[in-house]
Amino acid sequence: MRAIVAIIKPHKLDDVAEALRDAGVSGLTITEVRGHGRQRGHTEVYRGAEYSVEFIPKLRLDIIVDDGDAEKIADTIVAAGQTGKIGDGKIWIGPLDNVVRIRTNERGSDAI
Amino acid sequence: MSRGKTLVAMTLVVFVALIAVNQFGHGGNGDPGGTKTSAYSTPAKSSVNDTLGASTTPKNVPVSQTGINQLANETGHLRVSINFTWLLITGFLVLFMQVGFAFLVTGLTRAKNAGHMMMMNIAAFAVALLVYYVVGFAFQFGGVSPIANLGGASPLSGIFGHGTAGVIGLHGFFLQSGNTYDVGVLAFFLFQVVFMETAAYIIIGAIAERVSFAGFLVAEVALAAVIYPVYGMWMWGGGWLSQLGNSIGWGHGAVDFAGSGVVHATGGWIALALAMILGPRIGKYRKDGSVRAFPGHNLGYAVIGTLVLLFGWMGFNPGSTFGSSDLRISIVAVNTLLSACAGAVAAMAWTNAKWGKPDISMTCNGMLAGLVAITAPCAFVAPWAAVFIGVVAGFLVCYSVRFFDSKAKIDDPCGAISVHGTCGMWGLLAVGLFADGTYPASGWNGVAGPVKGLFYGDVGQLGAQMIDIVVGFLWAWGMAWIIFSLAKRFVKVRVSPEVELEGTDAGEFGQVCYPDFVQVTETDARLQDDDLSLPYLTAQERSTASAVHAGQPVGAAPHDTG
Repeated sequence: MRAIVAIIKPHKLDDVAEALRDAGVSGLTITEVRGHGRQRGHTEVYRGAEYSVEFIPKLRLDIIVDDGDAEKIADTIVAAGQTGKIGDGKIWIGPLDNVVRIRTNERGSDAI
Repeated sequence: MSRGKTLVAMTLVVFVALIAVNQFGHGGNGDPGGTKTSAYSTPAKSSVNDTLGASTTPKNVPVSQTGINQLANETGHLRVSINFTWLLITGFLVLFMQVGFAFLVTGLTRAKNAGHMMMMNIAAFAVALLVYYVVGFAFQFGGVSPIANLGGASPLSGIFGHGTAGVIGLHGFFLQSGNTYDVGVLAFFLFQVVFMETAAYIIIGAIAERVSFAGFLVAEVALAAVIYPVYGMWMWGGGWLSQLGNSIGWGHGAVDFAGSGVVHATGGWIALALAMILGPRIGKYRKDGSVRAFPGHNLGYAVIGTLVLLFGWMGFNPGSTFGSSDLRISIVAVNTLLSACAGAVAAMAWTNAKWGKPDISMTCNGMLAGLVAITAPCAFVAPWAAVFIGVVAGFLVCYSVRFFDSKAKIDDPCGAISVHGTCGMWGLLAVGLFADGTYPASGWNGVAGPVKGLFYGDVGQLGAQMIDIVVGFLWAWGMAWIIFSLAKRFVKVRVSPEVELEGTDAGEFGQVCYPDFVQVTETDARLQDDDLSLPYLTAQERSTASAVHAGQPVGAAPHDTG
């Protein structure tokens, strides 16, 4: 099993979620987060004074998939979440020891 | 042409157009003084449908002196009760401005201080009202001359100072002394106490996010007991500034219809003194002297607050006639709206030209600037002049905010000093320039003839206004400076750096406005390049502040505010 974490632009959520459902993902958890990448935020003007927004609002998606599906799901997120401009976000994928469905206490792939 | 030049050019065109507009419609059938509209007139002969005969004068009815007396009595009573109703309802509108100020200043500050801001607003109302009831009202209006619109006779007849040199009122302590337990006096009290409260909220905008609650209460008591009422007496209570027309023959004495000076400039200059003594918020100025913005946490609140204030101002200015039997109220109300909108548009245009996009909070400030500026002249000027005054106020507030922020380095989170101080001053000056001699018929401040400004032939009026501006500034700023400097020795007027960084909600009250949200205030994380050597911090406070943002534990408990 693999854990996929994707950081995307908030306004891309609907597109990405729909694409993921079409690709067969059944469970999806999102969190409102703030962060920056290589560009390190940007500056805004408020009442004539500049201030820097270092951490820009983003959405974090947590998805659990079977080993073989990880690359396909990553491609799906890229296709649906890409604008081509700075700040599109990132995806990282890592191994997962176990998954438990709380209602039934199922374990492993059955719990996805 | 550059955007800035286009703006200047367009503004000049507007000014020229406004002056041109004034050339039309003079000498017509209009009734700007409001005296002809109420006069009884015989209906025209077109009463074909007048089956009840209401418009025909009855003949052969015996006229008795008793009947005439009774009729006169009832008419007089009706007039006074209509005026009471007007005065009270407009007073309630001004009371509602409290809501506007609370929204405005809370919206323009950070979430971690929102509860503190709201608490200051409600506490200001309660504390200042009681103080004004005990002494403030008596100092201000204890010797005001009888107000005809409210029935004439008044027990408010105690004044200290002879003839044209009155300095303080003496009747009305606790609304009792000098037989002031009276319907007219209390109606007048309601209207005047909400005006004083307006000055009391103004100062919150400039001292926000760092003043301690205790220090704030000291400022409120000083304002409501002495600073506001005494200057208010000089202007509105029959005092020496209002009598400059009788004493040295300058116009009608200093004229301030609804309080650009008495309420707004006073509040603004007190705010200036307090903000200077408190110093800027931690992080406001970087070591290289550049300004860091602390964006307000809810611009929606700021806009709601501004619109509520606009609505409340419909009581503030038209109510200052003390009665709807003075039909000038319609002109006052429309002038107020015109100036407010002109101010908002001017600020919108200026920020767009200067910074590339129209600034939301500055547009709010621009609308308020227009309102503040028209408050003194609203009854004396024509609509074109109201627009002119508003446009100037809208630009003035933008320059003033930039001046205090970047040049003077006086930290004013909500622009209170610029909106109320600077534009209040402009409002007083505008009376001396644009008062057009259509109001009142005669007798303002006991001087014959209508009020006229420089452009309508009365240089003396402008002189009286300038004396008023200088005296008002020296009194309000000076007294606030003296009192707050003294208070600083006994009360901790500024919260500790830990409380300021953590948020005054938690530090001062142990409660936060938004407990369900994690608050990240990025600016606090970037203080390492901050100028912590500013004079308002002691050496120990500096090291504590450095320790706090370096994440080290500090000795003092965070809730200890002294």
